[in-house]
Amino acid sequence: MSQGKTNKFAQFWDRYSTVSILCIMILVFGILRPKSFLTPANLVKIIEQSSIYILLGLGEFFAILLGGIDLSISSIMALSGALTAKLMVDFGFSPVLAILVGVVLFGLGIGVLNGILVTGTGLPPFIITLGTQAILRSLVYILTNARSVSGLPTSFQTTIGGHFLFFPVPVMIALLTALVLSLFTWKTQCGRNLYAIGGNPQAAWYAGITVNRHTVIAFALSGLCAALAGMVNIARLAAAEPNAGTGYETYAIEAVIIGGASFFGGVGIIPKVIIGGLIIGTINNGLNMAGVSSFYQQLAMGILLIVAVTLDRFFGGRSK
Amino acid sequence: MNIVEMRNINKSFPGVKALSNISFSVKPGEVHVLLGENGAGKSTLMKVLSGVYHPDSGSIVLNGVEHSKLNPRLSREGGISIIYQELSVVNWLDIRENIFMGRMQSKKLGPVSTIDYAKLNQDTKKLLKQVNLDKYEPNKMASELSISEKQMLEIAKAISFDAKCIVMDEPTSSLTESEVKKLFEIIRDLKSKGIGIVFISHKLSEIKEIGDRISILKDGNYVGTWNVSDLSEEDMVRLMVGRELEKSYQEGHGSFGEVVFEVKNLSRKDGKVRDFHMQVRKGEIVGLSGLVGAGRSEAMEAIFGAVPKTSGEILLEGKRLTIHTPYDALKNGIGLVTENRRETGFFQNFSNKRNISIASLLKKSKFGGVCGLIQEKNEKEMAEKAKLDLQIKWAGDAQLTKNLSGGNQQKVILGKWISAGVKVLIFDEPTKGIDVGTKSEIYKMMRRLAENGIIVIVVSSEMPELLAVCDRIMVMAEGKVRGEFDITEATEEKLAMLATGNGG
Repeated sequence: MSQGKTNKFAQFWDRYSTVSILCIMILVFGILRPKSFLTPANLVKIIEQSSIYILLGLGEFFAILLGGIDLSISSIMALSGALTAKLMVDFGFSPVLAILVGVVLFGLGIGVLNGILVTGTGLPPFIITLGTQAILRSLVYILTNARSVSGLPTSFQTTIGGHFLFFPVPVMIALLTALVLSLFTWKTQCGRNLYAIGGNPQAAWYAGITVNRHTVIAFALSGLCAALAGMVNIARLAAAEPNAGTGYETYAIEAVIIGGASFFGGVGIIPKVIIGGLIIGTINNGLNMAGVSSFYQQLAMGILLIVAVTLDRFFGGRSK
Repeated sequence: MNIVEMRNINKSFPGVKALSNISFSVKPGEVHVLLGENGAGKSTLMKVLSGVYHPDSGSIVLNGVEHSKLNPRLSREGGISIIYQELSVVNWLDIRENIFMGRMQSKKLGPVSTIDYAKLNQDTKKLLKQVNLDKYEPNKMASELSISEKQMLEIAKAISFDAKCIVMDEPTSSLTESEVKKLFEIIRDLKSKGIGIVFISHKLSEIKEIGDRISILKDGNYVGTWNVSDLSEEDMVRLMVGRELEKSYQEGHGSFGEVVFEVKNLSRKDGKVRDFHMQVRKGEIVGLSGLVGAGRSEAMEAIFGAVPKTSGEILLEGKRLTIHTPYDALKNGIGLVTENRRETGFFQNFSNKRNISIASLLKKSKFGGVCGLIQEKNEKEMAEKAKLDLQIKWAGDAQLTKNLSGGNQQKVILGKWISAGVKVLIFDEPTKGIDVGTKSEIYKMMRRLAENGIIVIVVSSEMPELLAVCDRIMVMAEGKVRGEFDITEATEEKLAMLATGNGG
């Protein structure tokens, strides 16, 4: 390949890699299963299924943006869901109040706790959140006695899990969250500072950025997004399962990384996380439609991740 | 016969002649001092000796064997052993493993070969005795040793290689007085065994005490070799720094306003700075001179709030400032251009525009930048202004700063602080790795800032730089202010004397 061609491909890849992967996948599954995959109903379903991956990805994005990671989001998702369900079913909270306490306050609180543990101990986020992942998962089992919490108010189910003007509410929640967080990262000083810290924490400190406070904010956002995913999850399933979301943190990490964020921090944008989440949803759905055994789904995901990041390494301007 | 015989060594790097026609020799049982300013070529010469750099021309003879293609292995086999300033002791290995790393005696245990610990311990004990470390067992962890003991361990390692010539690069820079005495005892012991020592140090009194011969380098040139007893300390300083001064950037000297910036009783938690004080008058540029590790940068970091301090008062325009973090410093109008651009100066993932605006954004916002939106138009204007003011050469404000030259990167960092409207700007080694042309631009910029009423403080290891830009130069040594000179009476000799703990 000539130099010029390589450069052109590199430029193209740098900008459109994530969208390209999504298009290629839709194309492949569309050809394999034209009748069942490429129907409007199925496409809406994919987007709806992806909403949880997107929300988790958004949370993970902030941890990865700082050059860290948040492994606890899957457990936060489950615990927040279980707590919100319990509040409504056993304690008679109204859905609004339950969401306020079990999702917003709880999600932010756990995130802040993660952040304080990371900044306070100086340990890598990997270790802290590996710990909180286990602790929170255990708390889910203790809280629910390892039984699923069902009998959620219908109003909750139909609002959060339903449709608004033919549009699935989970998708709207995910997109609205993404929009707000996009503006946050693009337009606010705090958002800019997060990129600075991710790029060079030392330089950020010397530039006058309060690194610890920002780290706590990043983990708080991560916790909030995970809790929102938990809320959407219980609304869609009409119950809070104690093992909900187990292993989903890997989906979230994959969504962020396939979305082009640097694992070393400081690089990445939110719109690409949305596409990353859609890619995860599309693979899961497409392989199901194609009748591929679920044994192979992880295989496909793993290969995709490595290929996407390898291409980035060689053609993307950002990972160097 | 000399152990080391280097003749007419030349070495160039792109754009720099690092060594020109240097000759250097080491006799058995002598301490040969190598003296020169930072950047005089001492390290380069030693890297040639250790085979890390290949000279462009010249001959190297080790123990009578001429080496045309010296490499680190041949150098070691030729009896050369170098103990660098940053010790290479591995903390998580024990003493014997540190000494015999990669070459442990093994014995056969049936079909398996295992490490022969008995032999290893025996050898290690013998070595430890020679460096006065025999109070320790060979299996003591290296992390439990003090810095001076680690140095002894390095010497033991050098002896274990059967070194004929041991190079010590500023071995006393982090030692206490009594530790230095111990080191000298060991050096004398090594001498008596016929081992030659190359001793690199800036401390003239030590040189007088331990040195036999002295070679002086200046800007990569060979000044000469003398018997230490034939030179006074003044002679050494004169020979080391004597050269033409750079063009001066002081103008309208002597008409300064009142004191606007003052630091009193500043001490750091880690003891690297003790009871530091300084006063700066309006329009004045104050320089901080001293050896590496004298506490200059450390004092500035403490003022800036980047490291914790135990005491200290900072007054700006008569107001007492509370500074615990760089954020506090920025809020109060203090900026620091750090020594390491890449590590602490700019963001590799940021464009020029973003690197310039980052501190200004913070300054306007509350909570360390949580509140408030970014005005992209302002940001663009800010970058444009910095580009014009500082004559930054870039492909565009969206270009990544990491792709600029060192000089332009430094200008972007300067632009960051100027845009933030700081009242005090501290420069730490501002022209490190920067070409001559950009250097003078930065000097002019400093002067302009001072004329505009900004307090400019300059830390530099290059004395000509301080003499060229400062109105007053303070000298630090061992964490304390040792004295100061008005520019009219400051000379390199005086600064060096005070910094090395002589005179003053």
